[in-house]
Amino acid sequence: MKRINAIKKITKNVKNEIVISTTGMISRELYAVKDRPRNFYMMGSMGCALGIGLGIAINSKHKVIVISGDASVLMSLGTLALHKKLNPKNLKHYILDNGCHSSTGGQPTCSNVIDFSKIAPNTRVIEVSKEKGDAPRIPLSPKQILKRFKHAISSNRS
Amino acid sequence: MAITQTVKTKRIQAPDFMKKYNFIVGVPCSKLKDLTDEIKNYIPCTREDEAMALAVGAHLVGKKPLVFLQNSGLGNIVDIITSLLKPYGIKVDLLISVRNKPEQHAFMGKITKKLLKLLEYKNYKLVIQK
Repeated sequence: MKRINAIKKITKNVKNEIVISTTGMISRELYAVKDRPRNFYMMGSMGCALGIGLGIAINSKHKVIVISGDASVLMSLGTLALHKKLNPKNLKHYILDNGCHSSTGGQPTCSNVIDFSKIAPNTRVIEVSKEKGDAPRIPLSPKQILKRFKHAISSNRS
Repeated sequence: MAITQTVKTKRIQAPDFMKKYNFIVGVPCSKLKDLTDEIKNYIPCTREDEAMALAVGAHLVGKKPLVFLQNSGLGNIVDIITSLLKPYGIKVDLLISVRNKPEQHAFMGKITKKLLKLLEYKNYKLVIQK
């Protein structure tokens, strides 16, 4: 499956859920298929998406969806252990696994030797193709993303 | 809120801190034990940047977070400061215990304040051993 189609599938039925997307093409493709104020596009800080999702999930009643890549999860593997420890029922973690860093030229990761879904709860690994994708840059500044996200949360807009 | 402050003390006064924040998370230090002992539902973070990420999540839903760490972990949060907190304009208060000895702590002990200044980070409190 193409990564962008996996993102389409994940977000097809979202309503009020908060969606946190990881650095790079995953955020760009999420913007391309389903931009909404409740998406938090984490454009830098690779490896921190699940941590942000956990911080939201344990501090609120919001339903949270985190969309990671295999390389970003491997950067903070300890966070999968913390996810299991905290086990918030309102968080769902999708890991789009293409076994490589596709945006930097396809350098391999070690995702093939690990089963992420056995480490943490509510975690679904979706195997996706290695192609880089061509979604354009997100035409929003980080501050704009944050502003409309906070506004949507506080006003309960979807 | 800029809280740039250096405290020379043996122990941090936990109650003063507890009342200002409603989400306290971090990586422990013996010097901050009085604080961490008081935290209900202590969250066993694996790294300092993970604690920062949790604090950002808390901030996004309206909480007032504090992240505690040793200065030895300051390097671990440089990326999340430069590529998340700075561009998005998110402020998280830090409580940092400063170690400067023995040898493995000496260099970070020497540059802790300089590094925070270089990062243009103003929301921190340093706890330095008396």
